[in-house]
Amino acid sequence: MPEHNEIRLEKHSTVTVFCIEGDVTAFSEPFLNTAYQKANEQGAKKILLKFDKDAYINSGGIAVLIQILAETRRNNQDTAITGVSDHFKKIFHMVGITKFAKIFNTLEEALALMTKES
Amino acid sequence: MQLSTCYLFQGLSECQLKQLIAISTEIRVQQGTWLYHENEPADQMFVLKDGAVELLSTIDDAIELPITIIRSPGSCFGTSALIPPHLYSLSARCAKDATLQAIKQNDLRNLIQQNGELGFAILTNLAKHFLDRLKETRQELKIHFKTLFKSMHH
Repeated sequence: MPEHNEIRLEKHSTVTVFCIEGDVTAFSEPFLNTAYQKANEQGAKKILLKFDKDAYINSGGIAVLIQILAETRRNNQDTAITGVSDHFKKIFHMVGITKFAKIFNTLEEALALMTKES
Repeated sequence: MQLSTCYLFQGLSECQLKQLIAISTEIRVQQGTWLYHENEPADQMFVLKDGAVELLSTIDDAIELPITIIRSPGSCFGTSALIPPHLYSLSARCAKDATLQAIKQNDLRNLIQQNGELGFAILTNLAKHFLDRLKETRQELKIHFKTLFKSMHH
């Protein structure tokens, strides 16, 4: 069953936060790509992907994240992740997502560090 | 009864559902318990009553690849029990204390053999579900190819 994601963009100082609602699967690709395109139009240099507390991210969702993270790396954008459970932190580390984006425990912690970095 | 809301049993009559209920057993499973592992003999299938069960696959016995989480009452898993060679194609781990209806493969097979109409309905529902899963897998594959192609051209 295709998933439907609501992705809201919030600007916190120099950081663009993607507030991602719902489970993330292969069907999330158009929602994330549209949000990324919009963020680029706004000139985003620092991107924080914020997930729902209970969101489930399956192998297709991981593929979508890798696609977006590869794009942010090509565009020299600083990218981080927050809102994921310990279970997914472990998986992200195992599949190498942490090489592309740092994972923060809280939104506040992520914003504090990302806004500090030049 | 959760069996009546399971996609696999859609379209079955009250009488057929009662036959299924008669061969199902309620079990309780604690968080963290493995229900089965990939490639093990699929001797039973399950319908979720409450709680949550994660289905996953492993790469080189080291990386756990999350496939889906079963958390809606009436969702079923372990359907490899219905199809030869009757080996689980994924592993299942209880993600949150759960109550399940377990149906043994032998009992279900006997029921299907006795009642062709019931068997046809179940296998048609299963085929529809697998087609949806196939579409999702193809979509996932396309994403991987796009990422690969872009990385090769930069």
